Amino acid sequence: MKRITAGRLIAGVAATATALSLAACSGGAPDEDPVTLTYWTWAPGIPDIVETWNADHPDIQVKVEQPAGADDILAKVLSAQRAGNGPDMFAAEYQKVPNFVLAGAGYDITDLVADSRDQFTDATWGLVTVGDTVYGVPQDTGPMVLLYRGDIFDEHGWTAPATWDDYAALAEQVQAELPGTYLGGYPDDGSTLAGYAMPLGAQWWSTDGDSWSVDIDGPETQRVAEFWNDLVSRGLADTTHFFTPEWNTELNSGTLLSWGAGIWSAGTIASVAPDTAGDWRIAPLPSWDGETTAGLMGGSSAMVGSTTTHAKEAVEFLTWLNGSQEGSSALAASGLFPASIAGQESLNSLDVPEMVAGQDDYWQIAQQVAADSATFTWGPNVQLAFDTYSNNVQAAVQNGTPFVDALTAAQDAVVADLKKTGYTVK
Amino acid sequence: MSPAVAAAPVRRRRDSTRPRLAPWLFLSPAIVLFVLFLVIPMGYAIYLSFVALRVEGGAFGTRQQVFVGLENYVDALTDPELLASLGRLATFGVIAVPLTLGGALLFALLLDLPRVRFARFSRTAIFVPYAVPGVIATLLWGFMYLPTTSPINFLLTSVGLPPIDFLGPQGIYGSLANIAIWAGLGFNMIILYTALRSIPVEMYEAARLDGAGEWQIAWRIKIPLVAPALLLTLIFSLLGTLQAYSEPTTLKSLSNSISHSFFPLMKVYRDAFGLDNVSSAAAMSVVLALGTLVVSLVLLRILQRRTFEEAK
Repeated sequence: MKRITAGRLIAGVAATATALSLAACSGGAPDEDPVTLTYWTWAPGIPDIVETWNADHPDIQVKVEQPAGADDILAKVLSAQRAGNGPDMFAAEYQKVPNFVLAGAGYDITDLVADSRDQFTDATWGLVTVGDTVYGVPQDTGPMVLLYRGDIFDEHGWTAPATWDDYAALAEQVQAELPGTYLGGYPDDGSTLAGYAMPLGAQWWSTDGDSWSVDIDGPETQRVAEFWNDLVSRGLADTTHFFTPEWNTELNSGTLLSWGAGIWSAGTIASVAPDTAGDWRIAPLPSWDGETTAGLMGGSSAMVGSTTTHAKEAVEFLTWLNGSQEGSSALAASGLFPASIAGQESLNSLDVPEMVAGQDDYWQIAQQVAADSATFTWGPNVQLAFDTYSNNVQAAVQNGTPFVDALTAAQDAVVADLKKTGYTVK
Repeated sequence: MSPAVAAAPVRRRRDSTRPRLAPWLFLSPAIVLFVLFLVIPMGYAIYLSFVALRVEGGAFGTRQQVFVGLENYVDALTDPELLASLGRLATFGVIAVPLTLGGALLFALLLDLPRVRFARFSRTAIFVPYAVPGVIATLLWGFMYLPTTSPINFLLTSVGLPPIDFLGPQGIYGSLANIAIWAGLGFNMIILYTALRSIPVEMYEAARLDGAGEWQIAWRIKIPLVAPALLLTLIFSLLGTLQAYSEPTTLKSLSNSISHSFFPLMKVYRDAFGLDNVSSAAAMSVVLALGTLVVSLVLLRILQRRTFEEAK
C-alpha cells in the first residue's frame, strides 16, 4: 500500500478545493454573447414578463431568481456580493435603497438611465436617487388610500371620511352603532406611520452637505402619533397588527371596516378575506389640513448590483421592464401598481381588482393619488427606525404610555446608530 | 498472558515513523471536519466581532470594514436591549425549566410503578410531542392561544369565566413556557425513565422487606439514584432555554407582545440579517456562547460534586 502522508492528504484536499472553485468560476458570466443577467426579485408576476423579454432579446438573457422576500433580500444580496457572486440586478424596497447604496451594493446608473427619467414621476424617481446619484429604476409604488367596506358604509349611510377629524368622528359613530367593530387600526409599523405623516411634510431623514439630519420625532409625526394615541386610548382604534390571523379574522367577519395602506392593499387582502370580494372600495386617505398630497407606503425598485460586469445591459432590461409601455403594462397586468407613467395609464384598460369590483372610479382615484404623491427621503438605517418604533409603540399601547415616546426612542436609536457608523448628524 | 505478547511488537515498531502517522491518519477525517465546520466558522465569527462597518467620506460615503477592537463587546455588554432580552429569557426559563424537569420526573416515576397500566402507550404518548418540530408545535399552540380561535377561551367564556389573555404582555411567558414544557417533557422523561430502569430490582425488594411503601422507595431510593440523570436533563434544559428562538419567532406573528429583540438570539438574528450589523451580532454571539459555557461548567462542577457524593 502506498504511504499517505499528512502533506499529501492536504495537497489532495487543496487540489479538490481548487478544482471546485475553478468550476464555480466558470459558472459565472463569460464575456461573450449572449449575456446572461441574474435578477433577484420576489414579485410573483415577473418570471412570465421576463420570458417575453428573453424571447425578443437573444443577446441579453435574464435569469430570474427568487431567493428571498422583501425583508431578507438586503442580507442575502450583501452576503452574495461579499462572497463574489452577487446578482446583476435585484429588487429593493424604496426605504431600503439608501441602505443598499451605503453598504456598497448599488451601481451608479445615473448616466445610463438619463433617457428614461421622464417616464417616471418626481416622487418615485426621488426614491431611487441617493444624493445626486441614481441607483435603481422604480418598479411599483404604493400611494396611500383608505380601503373600506363600501357595503357596510352604505348600509349605515356613512361616507368615506375626508379629513382625519371626520375619521375620528366616524370611528366613534362606528363603535356606537356597531359595538365591537372598529373603523380601522392604528399604525403600529413605521411604514404606515411615515405614510400618514408624509402629507404633512414630514422628512425623517435629510442631508445637508456632508451631514444627516433626523426628524422622526418632529411636530408632523408627533401630530400623527397623538391623533392615533387619542383614538386608541378611547378604544376607537383596533390594535391588531395587520396580516396576523386575528386581523384576517376581523376583516372576514366585518369587525374591521377599513385599512389605510398603499394602493396595493386591494390586491393583498384578496388572499386574506376572499369572501368579502366586491364589498370594498377605496377613497383618498383623509387629509390633515385639506392637503391633497398622498403619502407612499411600500413599493419597490430594481437596482443594479455593484458587482455586475454588464450594467449597460442590465439598465436596458430594467428600463424596458419598468418604464416602457410593453413592460410596465405587463407589470400592471400582473397585479403590481406600476411606478411608470405609461404603466399607470395602461391601468384604465384593466379590470378593477376583484375585492373592489363595482367601484367604477377605482383606477381614476388610484391615478389621482399616484400623480400627487409626497416626496420623501429614506435614510441608511430605516429598518432600525421601523423596528424601534414598532417595539416601543406596541409596548406603549400595552402600558398606556404616550405614543410620542416611541418616536423619541426611534429618533434616539437612529441618531446613535448613524453616529456610531461614522456619519455626521446635525 | 496476551497483553505482554501484544506489547512486544508495539515497542519495536515505535522506532519507525509508521505508528506515529497511523493515529493521525485515522483522526484526520474528524480533524478536517472539526476544523472546517467548527474551528474556522468560530474563528471567523470571533474575527467579525472585532471589526465593524464604518463610513468615511460624507453623507453618502460607503461603509468600509475597519478594526474596532473591543468596541462591539462594550456595546453588547452595555446594550439595555440585550440585558432586557436576557431578563425576559430568565423569566421564561424560571417557569419552563423546573416544570419540565418536575413533570418529567413525576411521569417517569409513575411509569416505573410496578402495577402501572398502559405503560408503553403512555410513554409513547408523552414522548411524541418531542418529535413535533418547534415551529409546528408553536403554530398548533398559537391557534389555541388566539382569542378568536382558542378552544380554551371558548370553554371559559361559555361557562361565564373571563378569557385568558394568552398572548398579552404577561401571559406570553406562560404561553411560551407551556410550548417548551409540552415539547421537552417527554424527552427528559425518557432519560429519567431509562435511568430508573437501570436500578437493580433487588434494592426495591430489600426496601419492601424493610417495610418501605412506593412513596418511600421513590423518595429515598429512586430519586437519589437518578440524580446524575436529573443533572444531565437540567443541563440540557438550560442549554435549550438559552437557545430558545423558533418558538417566540413563530409566535411573534400572532402576538404584539413579542418584539424583534424579545429573546437574545432573536436580537442576534435581527442585527445580523435585518440591520446588516454582522459585527454586533458576532460579538453578542460570542458573549452568549461564553456565558453559556461558564454557566454550564460552574453548574456542572457544583452539582456534580454534590450528586455524586450523595450517590456514593
